[in-house]
Amino acid sequence: MLRFWKERFKTGIVTENPEIDKELEEIKKNLKDKVKKLFAGSLAIRMVDSGSCNACEAECNALSNPYYDLERLGIHFVASPRHADILLVSGVMTANMYHHVWDAYNQVPSPKWVITLGDCAKDLGVFEKTYAIKGVDLPVDYHIPGCPPTPKDIMQGLIEFLKKIEINKEK
Amino acid sequence: MRLIARFAQENENNFEIIDVFDIEIKKTKIDKNNPVTSTLTNKYPAAIWMERKIRDEFGINFEGCVDTRPLVKHERFPKNIYPMRKNFQKIDIEFGEFEPYEYEEVKGEGVFYVPVGPIHAGIIEPGHFQFSQAGEDMLHLEVRHFYKYRSIEKMCENKKPLEIKKIIERISGNESIAYQIAFFNILAKSAGIELNESFKNKSAILLEMERIIHHLTDLGFIPNDAGFAPALAFMSRLSEDARRTLAKVTGHRFGFGAINEEMKYDFSEIFKFINYLEEKINFFENWIIDIPSLWDRFDTTGGLSHEKAQRYGVVGVAARSSGVAIDTRNNQWYKNRGFEIQVRQKGEVSDRFLLRIAEIKNSIQIIRNCKTDSNEKIEFKEFNDGEFHSFVESSIGELFMYIKLKDGVIDRFYVRDPSHINWQAFHTAIYKDIIADFPLINKSFDLSYAGNDL
Repeated sequence: MLRFWKERFKTGIVTENPEIDKELEEIKKNLKDKVKKLFAGSLAIRMVDSGSCNACEAECNALSNPYYDLERLGIHFVASPRHADILLVSGVMTANMYHHVWDAYNQVPSPKWVITLGDCAKDLGVFEKTYAIKGVDLPVDYHIPGCPPTPKDIMQGLIEFLKKIEINKEK
Repeated sequence: MRLIARFAQENENNFEIIDVFDIEIKKTKIDKNNPVTSTLTNKYPAAIWMERKIRDEFGINFEGCVDTRPLVKHERFPKNIYPMRKNFQKIDIEFGEFEPYEYEEVKGEGVFYVPVGPIHAGIIEPGHFQFSQAGEDMLHLEVRHFYKYRSIEKMCENKKPLEIKKIIERISGNESIAYQIAFFNILAKSAGIELNESFKNKSAILLEMERIIHHLTDLGFIPNDAGFAPALAFMSRLSEDARRTLAKVTGHRFGFGAINEEMKYDFSEIFKFINYLEEKINFFENWIIDIPSLWDRFDTTGGLSHEKAQRYGVVGVAARSSGVAIDTRNNQWYKNRGFEIQVRQKGEVSDRFLLRIAEIKNSIQIIRNCKTDSNEKIEFKEFNDGEFHSFVESSIGELFMYIKLKDGVIDRFYVRDPSHINWQAFHTAIYKDIIADFPLINKSFDLSYAGNDL
C-alpha cells in the first residue's frame, strides 16, 4: 500500500491538474453554476439505453472518470427513474425496448425532461428503419448530437439544455 | 469439433442451414414448403439460441429441440411473421397481443425469483436476468437478451458492400475495430486481392489498442464491484488516456472509420502511450496483488470449468482463462510480432482478471513489433459474387462474419459475436456463488449486448 500512497501523492488530483485544457475548466464551472441555480446543486439523471452500440454508454461512464468527475459538479447518474429529473435516452429505440423505455419515462416524477443522446436517438444515425426499430417518440426536450458525443460534448450539451430551461423559467 | 455458428439463408428454391465448425462448414438444404430439420442441441448446447433465432426469423422448425420459446420476438412482437424471409419487406410492424414469456425456473419450497432488467441500475446496456434463489444462493439463472435487436442482418441486405461499412462500424462500440477488420478481410477475399503488410500491421496496432481499452475498463470495474473503488479511479483514468490516444491517432475515440483503404496515421502517440501504460500496468499489478480482501472475493468465484467451456464452445478471454487455448491470433504472423497465447486454468474471476493483465502486457509487445513506416494503399476494383467468411480476435473473443454476395449486392449478412456463445455458457459459472457475487462474475466476463442482439 505504501507504493500506492507514493503514486497517489505524485499524481495529485487529476481534475485540478493545471495541464488540463482551459476549455474543459470553463465548461465545468458553467455547468456547476447552472446546476446550483436551477436544481439547487443536485441534478439526477437516469440513463436508458434503447438500442445503441454501447459507445454512448461508454462515454457516459467516462463522465465519472477522474478527468471529468461529474459527481463533483452536482450531477448524478441514478439507479431508478423515480429518483430522476432527466431521462437520458440513447439508441434507436427498438421494438423490444419500446414499452420498457416508455415505462421508465412514466416512472419519472414531474417536472421531468427528456434528453436524447447521440445520432441514433434522432433520425437513427447511420442505421436504417427496419421492422425491429420503432424510433424515439418520447417528448424530447433537448438533443445532444454526435456518434458518440464525447464526454466534453455531453457536458456542453447539458449546459445548453440548462440554458434552455432557464430561459423558459424566466418567461 | 467445436460449433462456431449455425444460421440460415433463403435461396430461390429452398432454405439453407449453414453449420460452421472449426474444421469444416456443412450445408443442409431444406424444403420451403415443409421447413423442418434436425437439431444440434443434444451435442452442442450453444446451438439453442441459434436455432431459436432461426425459428423466429425464418420459421424453420428443429426436430428434437427442447426449447421452442421465442428468442428475438418478445412479448408484444407479432408472432406470425418471419422477417428474415425474402418476401418480408415491411419496415413497420404492429405490436401484437401481450404473451408472457415462460422463464426457466427452479421450483420448490422457499425458492423465490429475482428479476433484473431489462433496464439496469447503472449505465449499462439492456438485458434481462432471472435468478431462482434459495436465500442468497443462486440456484439458476436465465439470461434473456435481444432487447437491442435492431435486425442489422436484414438492414445490410440488398446493399452494395461498401455501403454497409458505416453500419458495421457501429454494431458494437467496444468491438468496432474488430468488426471493421473482419469486414475488410471479406472485401479483400471478394475482390480477389491480398491485404498488404502495411494494412495488416496498422490494423493489428489498432485492434490491440481496442483490446487494451476494453481490458483496462474491466480491470477497473471488476474490483469496483467488489467494493474497491480506487482501482476504478486508477483504471478509468488509464482507459481515458488510451481513448484519447486513439482519438489523437485516428480522429475518433472508438475508432469508428479507423480501418480504411489508406490509414495514413502517425502512430507515434500510440508508441509513446504504451511505454507509459507499461509502467502503470506493472504498478497496478503489484498494488492489486497486495490486497487480500479483494482476492478473497475473486478466488473461487464464478468458476467456469474446462469441460463446460469446451462443451459450450466458449471463446475469447472466458475460454482462455478456463484452460481452452483458442485465439485466432495464434498464427505465425502474430507470433513473429511477439504474440504468446495467454492461458489460465481454473476459470474463476481471479483468472479472468489476471488474464486481462497478461493480455495487455502482450498487446504492448505486439504493438512494439508492428512496423508502420510503409504506406501502401488498398484498392478494391470490383467485388465478385460468392460466399465469404472471416475470423478476427476481438477484445471479447473470436468474431465470425459471413457475407454472401449475389449480383453485386449483399444477399445474406451474418455475424456471430463472441458474446453470442459466451452468454449461453455464462449461467453455468454461477451455481456455487451467492447473488451478491453476480455483478463481479458478470463484469469479469464482460460480454457485449449490442453485438449479441444484433
